Amino acid sequence: MLLIHCPYCKEKLPELEFEYAGQAHIARPENPAEQTDAEWRDYLFIRSNVRGDHAEQWRHSHGCGRYFNALRNTVSDKFIATYEIGQACPTSHAEGEENNEQLES
Amino acid sequence: MNNWRVDGKGRINRDKRVRFTFDGVSYQGYEGDTVASALLANGVHLMGRSFKYHRPRGPVTAGSEEPNALIGTSRSGAGRFEPNTRATVQELYEGLTTVSQNKWPSLNFDVGAVNDKLHKLFAAGFYYKTFMWPKSFWDKVYEPVIRASAGLGVSPTEPDADTYASRYLHTELLIVGAGPAGLAAALTAARNGTDVVLVDENRELGGSLLSEAPSAIDGKNTESWLAAVIAELEACDNVRIMTRATAIGYYHENMVGVAEKLTDHMENPPANAPRERMWRIRAQEVILAQGALERPLVFDGNDRPGVMMAGAAQTYLNRYGVKVGNAAVVVTSHDSAWYAAFDLADAGVKIPAIVDVRTTVNDYLQSEAQKRGISAKVGHSVTSVSGTKRVSGVKVGRISGDQHVTDIISIPCDAVLMSGGWTPSLHLFSHTKGSLHWDEENEVYLPGERTERCHIAGGGRGLWSQQAAFDDGVHAAQQALISLGQNAPGLSVDVDGDRAGSGIVMEELPSNDDKLAGRAFVDFQNDVTAKDIRLAVREGMLSIEHVKRFTTNGMATDQGKMSNMNGLKIAANELGRPTPKVGLTTFRPPYTPTTFGTFAGYHKDELFEVTRKTNIDGWAEENGAVFEPVSLWRRAWYYPKAGEDMHAAVARECRETRASVGMFDASTLGKIEVVGPDAAEFMNRMYTNPWTKLASGRCRYGLLLGEDGFIRDDGVIGRISEDRFHVTTTTGGAARVLTMMEHFLQTEWPDLDVWLTSTTEQWSTIALNGPNARKVLEPFVKGTDLSAEAFPHMALRECTVGSFEARLFRVSFTGELGFEVNVPSEHGRALWEMLYQEGKKYDICVYGTETMHVLRAEKGFIIVGQDTDGTVTPADAGLTWAIGKKKPDFVGKRSLTRPDMLLPKRKQLVGLLTEDPSVVLEEGAQIVETGDTAIPAKMLGHVTSSYWSEVLGRSIAMALIEGGFERNGTSIDIPMPGQTHRATVSGTVFYDPDGDRIKM
Amino acid sequence: MAFNSTVETLPAMGRFSLRCKRENTVAMSKALGFELPSSISETAQSGDMTALKLGPDEWMLTCPMEARSEIEKSLAAIYPDAVHSLTDISSREVSIRISGPEAEELLSTSCPRNLAELKSGRGVRTIFDSVQVILTREEQNQFRLDVWRSFVPHVMGLLTVAVAEFECGL
Ligand SMILES: [Zn+2]
Repeated sequence: MLLIHCPYCKEKLPELEFEYAGQAHIARPENPAEQTDAEWRDYLFIRSNVRGDHAEQWRHSHGCGRYFNALRNTVSDKFIATYEIGQACPTSHAEGEENNEQLES
Repeated sequence: MNNWRVDGKGRINRDKRVRFTFDGVSYQGYEGDTVASALLANGVHLMGRSFKYHRPRGPVTAGSEEPNALIGTSRSGAGRFEPNTRATVQELYEGLTTVSQNKWPSLNFDVGAVNDKLHKLFAAGFYYKTFMWPKSFWDKVYEPVIRASAGLGVSPTEPDADTYASRYLHTELLIVGAGPAGLAAALTAARNGTDVVLVDENRELGGSLLSEAPSAIDGKNTESWLAAVIAELEACDNVRIMTRATAIGYYHENMVGVAEKLTDHMENPPANAPRERMWRIRAQEVILAQGALERPLVFDGNDRPGVMMAGAAQTYLNRYGVKVGNAAVVVTSHDSAWYAAFDLADAGVKIPAIVDVRTTVNDYLQSEAQKRGISAKVGHSVTSVSGTKRVSGVKVGRISGDQHVTDIISIPCDAVLMSGGWTPSLHLFSHTKGSLHWDEENEVYLPGERTERCHIAGGGRGLWSQQAAFDDGVHAAQQALISLGQNAPGLSVDVDGDRAGSGIVMEELPSNDDKLAGRAFVDFQNDVTAKDIRLAVREGMLSIEHVKRFTTNGMATDQGKMSNMNGLKIAANELGRPTPKVGLTTFRPPYTPTTFGTFAGYHKDELFEVTRKTNIDGWAEENGAVFEPVSLWRRAWYYPKAGEDMHAAVARECRETRASVGMFDASTLGKIEVVGPDAAEFMNRMYTNPWTKLASGRCRYGLLLGEDGFIRDDGVIGRISEDRFHVTTTTGGAARVLTMMEHFLQTEWPDLDVWLTSTTEQWSTIALNGPNARKVLEPFVKGTDLSAEAFPHMALRECTVGSFEARLFRVSFTGELGFEVNVPSEHGRALWEMLYQEGKKYDICVYGTETMHVLRAEKGFIIVGQDTDGTVTPADAGLTWAIGKKKPDFVGKRSLTRPDMLLPKRKQLVGLLTEDPSVVLEEGAQIVETGDTAIPAKMLGHVTSSYWSEVLGRSIAMALIEGGFERNGTSIDIPMPGQTHRATVSGTVFYDPDGDRIKM
Repeated sequence: MAFNSTVETLPAMGRFSLRCKRENTVAMSKALGFELPSSISETAQSGDMTALKLGPDEWMLTCPMEARSEIEKSLAAIYPDAVHSLTDISSREVSIRISGPEAEELLSTSCPRNLAELKSGRGVRTIFDSVQVILTREEQNQFRLDVWRSFVPHVMGLLTVAVAEFECGL
């Protein structure tokens, strides 16, 4: 069971208090009516499927109730960073790049 | 009777005799025995039959890795039989009843053993290849026969009578394993004041020290050293010791699952004692000191009762005071078995020979053997074993240069002790996805890169001697403490008479047999032989993962603890590739078989899952309601009177409600308070409907879509005041809707000044419906005129009902004059009883969810999730009227004009009237064109709701049908078992289409 | 091994969910007559009124049932200048008090949080078994669980089984 750092509570807390809320940094278009069918399809359905670092939304649903962003490695499952909604993704790892962090032995 | 006991040996309590039975025969052991040690002390080696070939088997180990000696155990009372208990782990207590498994009619004479004679038929992949044709044989021949003979042990037939517990625990340092390494680590950390949890699967601490005591530790004999160390640890407030506690899984962020057995060893457990407890231990640092497991050697007949691990024989002798035979031949590729032979010889067991397959063995061991008169046959191999239910001898010969065996002689014996060396126990480390690296010199996998804050100590790192294990335990603790920011001094433990050693890793032992002929077992539990593995490779299985699945090697309940390395070595040999290139299968939790009860913990019976009940639920129960589960709630389904079945009760409830008045507990409806200056704007963005012009004191049906344009939820929404909305949701949708709203609010529209609060459980909601609803309610309402003019349909007031503050809605989900009264939830039942009392004047009827469903269907009101399924748009459901046409945007609006959403042949929600009005269609039934009898027919859609309508005197149904609106007035067919029904497509409003009744 | 802790449900108390933006907390505190806590998990108290900060913009206020209208009135008065949401949730939850030397370990049967890190006088929304609760450490050996009403039988059921387990001494 993972421990997740909530950027609002500023504590590392059990995964059971949290829920996943989809890929991060997908903003709802300013004016949906002006979207072409293809643009709107992309907004609705097209998501990345990263092997490596992935920017995600999570919610501290059984805690402070806030949504936040997280950078998480989909191979190790581990959280690399969590940050508030509206903030930029903190690291420059390219999408899909594998970054399987390991402790030094 | 106990003539296999050795005086002066063992840690059993010889003052406390314990009686137990095995297959109906009564035996005696001592307190401190396991079932296996006690049976061995009685000369019983045959403890079970194998899974596939039903070969006679005895214990091959003395621990939790045991693959053979699986028994059924029971204590008195129903529901306390357990199959597949390891006899090597189960502690003895007075009155314990045990039985052997996989035998019929008896352990000594077993019919299924014919499989053993037919073993050539049952080679690897047999099932995959044999039972393929003809198809019809599956149901009638293959499956019944396989099912009858399959299964490990016998499933219990009664519910488990025991209870189970769980606990979370947080600590600085968790140490798994209390052998030399674990104890040294614990001492180091304990003396430093660190919070330590020390767990061990055995009943007492000590690990290998209990099986093989060095002559002295720190100048004391091992027993007193151990007692002093345990006393010191137990006296520390910062140390928690758990015995009979197996670390079964290592999860993310240093969470280790530990299954603690609490009562399995007790004759009379205390009342209310749980049988086992699952600890979820979160440690900042973990030390894995789980030692190593001894590997069998692979030779013909290595599974015969009496053949066991040399280390196990040593444990039976030193820990339980039991000699496993009178004459034991030792066969080994590792020094450790020589020491086992010496221990047994010193205890009076005859050792006719030590057969060592290596070409050289050090002089010290050879001279020690000589001292004891043991014939040391170095460079020799065992080619076969004689005896069926008990080993009676071995054939031994010299290994020649070309791996042939010459000069074969027979040696009579009643035990064979084998050792193929030791495999570091890295199962838990593997759970963490920690990498393993191949140590070429010692031919073992050792821990590599770590993914968690864990340290491996002792045997797990390939260190064989107890001195090395003690030193490594201290070192691991120091490393862990440094990680914790604590700097602890080391300590030293000095071992006298330490027994260091080394060995080599073998595939099958050399013999003169064809490698594809023998009965040399690799996986005892799944009856996988060396031949099976070679065959798998020859049939094209190149990866060890494929070999594993094809042969089932390592797939038994012991997860290959004994078999993995031997299987890998043989596969590598057959492939002609280096061992590490063949791969390694993955270990997964649990480390040892664990009862379902331990995983379930408290979740059984009443606590199996949450059952939510309303404040009025008690009244329903007292008044004979039948309940149904709706999400986590239990809701009154219908209220049968004496002699009524469900159909009669629902028909009556419908009739009485429409005729006079009915009362319904609607408290489970989700409720959300939307508050703030931007409340109306927020509602405009979320729901399809327009909210700006909704006046305070009025309410409106609200429709919620997903961003994909499909219906997600609906409900009546009231405007309490300019800045405050009372939103209701479906019962099942309450949490989901609030989550969706919060998601949009927090991530897309943080600029809006509006806040959401769940008020589902703040209110009890009572619905009154029917022409007399007003008359029942009026006497209790103060200060509000309930007349049709003053309080019309879709009005709401904050007022007092009875003596309770209330939010009163005039709404209807039945098409009748209707009210919903919300009062603070603790007053729900009181108000309910007041209204019921008053309602008696009008023959009030209390109805449940089924009647609610019928009444709403008669009016064509949808149930989201029943008449919609996540692919239904407002247009599909005939709800375009609920869309605010002038609103520039709302969630899902843009999707409504996507090309797919505009296709004419979409499935649309329509009514169905069966030709035979008495036929009530099945919900979920498929719909086809009339007369379409092709197989398969083209499905046009399905029935979503279907009921007997009492008021109409006929059945009604709703259905989602391709191009449904265009089909109005035409016929479709509904094939159902036995008969195809014909129905006419209609509108969905079956009753009172003009809506007059609601306006009363 | 003696077991000396108790589990009891508490009588009804007034409870509000208060939500507002950071810039309005000063006005809120002024209207309430005491400083709202500024960090999540902190509580503040004034007379028989308490405020527990649950989220960045969320507080739970508790008070005697009869004091509710006073709070509603004083906050309504400042609404035009300091917008906020005040919602009565007095009936939504029932409080369960667990007190005694074993209270912390009793809670650890179903609570995944490290309770040693929850200091006296602090409270958090968290999870107990599968149930969302507000857990307040009122004193070192005294906890309060605020549980949505319909979940109370499940939570009390778990605590009752746990108490029996503690009493059996294993
Ligand atoms: Zn948080």
